[in-house]
Amino acid sequence: MGNLTKLLEVHDIRKDYGKPDSPTRALRGVSFDVLQGEFLGIMGASGSGKTTLLNCIATIIKPSEGEILLSGENIAHFGGRDLARYRGSRIGYLFQDFELLDNLTGRENILLPLSIHGEKVALAEAKLAELAAFFEIDDVLQRFPTQMSGGQKQRVAAARCLISNPDIVLADEPTGALDTRSARLLMDKLDGSNRQHGTTILMVTHDANAASFCSRILFIQDGVIFHELRRQLPTETRDAYYARILAVMAQLGGGSANVL
Amino acid sequence: MFFKLAYQNAKRSRQENLIYFFTLVIAVASFYIILALENQDVIIYLRTFESEAVEKLFALMPVLYVIALLLIAFLVLFANRYQLDRRSREFGLYMVLGMRRRKLFLQLVTEGAISSCFALVGGIVVGGILSELVSLVTARLVGQGIIGHQLSFSLSAAGCTALAFLVIQCFVSLALGLRMFSRELHELLYGRMSKKQARGTTRGNITTLLVGLVLLGASYTIVLNHFTLAQEQLMFMATMLVAVLLCCIGTLLVIRGSARLIGLVAGSKRSSQTRGLRSFTLRQFQEFIANKPLSITASALLVFFAIVFLAAGASLILSSGRTEAFSVYDLTVMGEDQKVQAALASAELSPYVAELNRMELGYLVHTVKDDRPVVDLDWSGLREKLVAALPAGIPDPGPQQNGYSMLSEDPWELNLLKNLDSRMMIPDLIPQSSYNRLLEAAGLEPLNLASDEATFYFNPQFYPAGQALGGTGLDSLLRETQGDAQAPLRIGTHPLRLAPLPAMKALVADSLFGLAFAIIVPDALFDEQVDPANISVYWNFCIPQALEDEQGLLVPIKAASALLKSSGLAFESYLQNFGRQLFYVIAGSYTLLYLGFLFLIIGSTVLALQFLTQMRQARARYLTLSMLGAKRAQLRRCLHSQVAAYFLLPLALAIASGTVGVWVLLGFMLSLADYGSQLYASAAAVAGVVILIELLYAVAVAKTATHALERYLQKTRTE
Repeated sequence: MGNLTKLLEVHDIRKDYGKPDSPTRALRGVSFDVLQGEFLGIMGASGSGKTTLLNCIATIIKPSEGEILLSGENIAHFGGRDLARYRGSRIGYLFQDFELLDNLTGRENILLPLSIHGEKVALAEAKLAELAAFFEIDDVLQRFPTQMSGGQKQRVAAARCLISNPDIVLADEPTGALDTRSARLLMDKLDGSNRQHGTTILMVTHDANAASFCSRILFIQDGVIFHELRRQLPTETRDAYYARILAVMAQLGGGSANVL
Repeated sequence: MFFKLAYQNAKRSRQENLIYFFTLVIAVASFYIILALENQDVIIYLRTFESEAVEKLFALMPVLYVIALLLIAFLVLFANRYQLDRRSREFGLYMVLGMRRRKLFLQLVTEGAISSCFALVGGIVVGGILSELVSLVTARLVGQGIIGHQLSFSLSAAGCTALAFLVIQCFVSLALGLRMFSRELHELLYGRMSKKQARGTTRGNITTLLVGLVLLGASYTIVLNHFTLAQEQLMFMATMLVAVLLCCIGTLLVIRGSARLIGLVAGSKRSSQTRGLRSFTLRQFQEFIANKPLSITASALLVFFAIVFLAAGASLILSSGRTEAFSVYDLTVMGEDQKVQAALASAELSPYVAELNRMELGYLVHTVKDDRPVVDLDWSGLREKLVAALPAGIPDPGPQQNGYSMLSEDPWELNLLKNLDSRMMIPDLIPQSSYNRLLEAAGLEPLNLASDEATFYFNPQFYPAGQALGGTGLDSLLRETQGDAQAPLRIGTHPLRLAPLPAMKALVADSLFGLAFAIIVPDALFDEQVDPANISVYWNFCIPQALEDEQGLLVPIKAASALLKSSGLAFESYLQNFGRQLFYVIAGSYTLLYLGFLFLIIGSTVLALQFLTQMRQARARYLTLSMLGAKRAQLRRCLHSQVAAYFLLPLALAIASGTVGVWVLLGFMLSLADYGSQLYASAAAVAGVVILIELLYAVAVAKTATHALERYLQKTRTE
């Protein structure tokens, strides 16, 4: 994490649902920055507003108030072409349930964002080979998603998310649908991508194990940031960090509330 | 509460799913039209002929009703199945909320009944209007002078339609309800578990495709090369059956096999390197075909049959104009001269008589030798000319002893030669004056034969000019004989030159009159050569033009017929033959056009609803695409190309097979009659109608799919 440029700035985001006279306040003023090359986690109980926050950044939802800047540009001002560009190539979205198109092969799925944006796919062959090797999915490239395991699917999804060299990866509970082993492998790969290639990652999770890969974690409760944890690198081990995470989670409204 | 929910759901079904509702309306309208057929002007008119043949054919009508009913039941079943699948999640939700099956089922039936009522009203209105239009158009085509128009709306038909449609809807609701409730709740809520697509091996699929193409080719070859009217009926049917069967199997195999081919194209490096959603679009298309090859095949075949049926129906209508062009007289009376003359001159009958023509026909005196008639006639001069005119390589067949056969693919000179060989054995003669009165009645120039001249009469019913007489071919041949030293024809002791052919008109009112060929000779020669015992006399006349203008043809002909009947004279009227002819044409073309349209509608509906169902099952993919940054316009384009490809594949196959089918059909028609350009125009019109209807369906599907997709994306966005 050499430079400290602010990649993403979130200023006082609020989001209300429902009728104006009796609104449900999902986000009540959330502000934070994501630095270039950072691996930031957002944790919170279900209903805390963490997915709403991620969806605001992904422009799936419009915030009621506040602004979000990516490299200094307000994403609320994006319209039409810029918005599509932003979604497809400036951010990469990693879904909890992969969202691979099950009638396309692994290879076709990975290359999809490029062809959607009309980029020269031929130039991406090298990148595809590199990602496939990195995520260990060489042997499933020609298969259809129905012929892959859950872990393979999520790693294909991760490769799809990185193929267009996005500024930032938004991951929504990426390990939520995976078994422990696959989850571990995926987190290793995301961590490796962050360390080796400086990929900026913003990950929403309620899995403390997955969160322990993050360099910094924001805890959200009832629509506001309630706590922040930072891994003491290089001294703190992942296990020690994990224990600290569990301790904060236990504070966050008493144990059982963390279970989705 | 219960009824309100059912009512609202039914209303939503209509609004959200125009294609579904439209299909129901079409089903009702089609059934109404077939039941209201008896109220059509033309049919009412045909009923006035107390002919046994017509009655027998009317007795066959229920068969058509049953076929139509079955087809329509299928259409309704299919549309409802689609509608229920669309809403299965909703029903699952009701059940999770604790609604009892019986109540849900009752609600389904109620909803179906409400939808049916709206569809019934719409369908009967549409059917009534269409029926009325068809009635007017046919009346006009047949000749407005003949038929008085009356409103064709039939209450009993509407009642029967309502009853039949409601019964169908009840059965359909019952069957579909049982099918739905036998599924697991999970399946209702979350759709069918995604089953792995058995896409088969590449080689297997390519083989399938090739075998399919070979079978189609074989079917076309059989139809094009081994299909002639000269075949025996049994053989003809067998050939046709084999060809149709090969065509069906071939179409299925081609469609099955092409799925993998499209997959190969989609999976190729080049395709995934292409910009935009090309590989996704191709994969979608591949999946459509791989999932439902049978229903796509069924659609392709239905459209194919529709094309052939419509073309056959249209050309049959065109052939109805044939007799009218030749017939001149409205009534023909036979009997003793004095009696007929007295009757026609009577005060009651005379107002109906114009252009009276006492037509004489007679055959030459002949003796019998070796069981064969011998007449004193020699036409070897003309025969030599005809033989010389035969195209190179075709030998003179020689006088045929035992009949002859005409083949449409043979040159006209050969056919005519064989024909005359047989006709000249005992030819009929017509005195020039009789034929001239006919020509005058038709408003044409009379003949002016010199005392040593003759010419020929060919009944246009049997000899369409272009086909059998080589256009102007025979005429120029006759002209050539004029300069010859040897007379081309001799009757008795009279050598005769041949004058150019006159215009060919029907000799009497009845077109079934069997005289095919005669020699027109000067009156003196007729009197000399024909024994009075061999002469037949036909008293022909027309209804006066003023009377026809005033009352149409039907009323005066019927009045005159009644008077003749009471006088005890034998007579034939133009209307009798017209009615017979008309009935064949109307019954045939109605049935063909009706079934053709029904096939077309069913084929298109199956295609349309199938697409929308699959599109719905795969809609989450579009959400993913949109998350990956696909623009709305891109998604729309992708959807539109899918619709286009999905409609084009079966349509292309149907048009390929249809072209071959229509080609052969036109070949038959052309060998029977002489209206080629009109036939080709009608075939082109049929192709235009089919393409237009498919286009309308494709546009409707594209619109519905785009609309549904946008609403889905909108909904998931705001949630």
